[in-house]
Amino acid sequence: MTDERLERVLRGLEKARQFAESYRFEISDEYRTLIAQVEALPRNQSGADKSGRWLGSLAEHKSWYRNVRLVPRKR
Amino acid sequence: MTHPLSPLAAALGRHSVRYVMIGISAANLYGPDGQAIFATEDIDLFLPLDADNLVAAWAACDETALELWSNNEPLDRPRDRFLAERVIERRALTRARGANQLIVDFTLVMKGFDFETVWNERREFLMDDVPVLAARLLHIVESKQATGREKDQLFLATHLDALQQLLKKSDLR
Repeated sequence: MTDERLERVLRGLEKARQFAESYRFEISDEYRTLIAQVEALPRNQSGADKSGRWLGSLAEHKSWYRNVRLVPRKR
Repeated sequence: MTHPLSPLAAALGRHSVRYVMIGISAANLYGPDGQAIFATEDIDLFLPLDADNLVAAWAACDETALELWSNNEPLDRPRDRFLAERVIERRALTRARGANQLIVDFTLVMKGFDFETVWNERREFLMDDVPVLAARLLHIVESKQATGREKDQLFLATHLDALQQLLKKSDLR
């Protein structure tokens, strides 16, 4: 890589770093509306059965995979 | 097949522990069945600054064979009111570890919120017929924003996109 090209890449990385440091996510009205819609779904009311929900944890992943049984395909 | 969290949730219920699930795992509860939106290492439970409640939470962990840790060390014994008061003074986190790498964090802090506000608007879901108490999705998102960590900013940006996709699906309407 030439010095000039390397300089350009480094400048680009520096700009990306500055953007990442200054970036601040704001909760928009659209986001609030979407949250309200999701919260209002019947499946998200108190009393709803969430037995089939994956919370995203490794423990669930391991637990469910442990219970998978491979069944030979019938011919 | 029971959910790895169900035995602890049942024990917390038997001990009348006040808690609400917060964080990414709680946000995932609001998604469709059989799918997680985001992966997380642990399940976060928010507890009030109440020593008796904390002792009861620890007892529930003992009952369900979860090991308790604090600051990367096993939690001291006896796990009594005196110890709970010291933990509360420091707003320290207690981590419960179980089989299948189940990790549950008992936190006394939810950025931007006090416990009662979150508790009063909680949702009571069922998991294997066991009540699981979760914070409102709005509270979870607002707390993530208040925290302002890089990973939380990323979560919020992608969560917004995920909600847009979820609501496009006709089965959710």
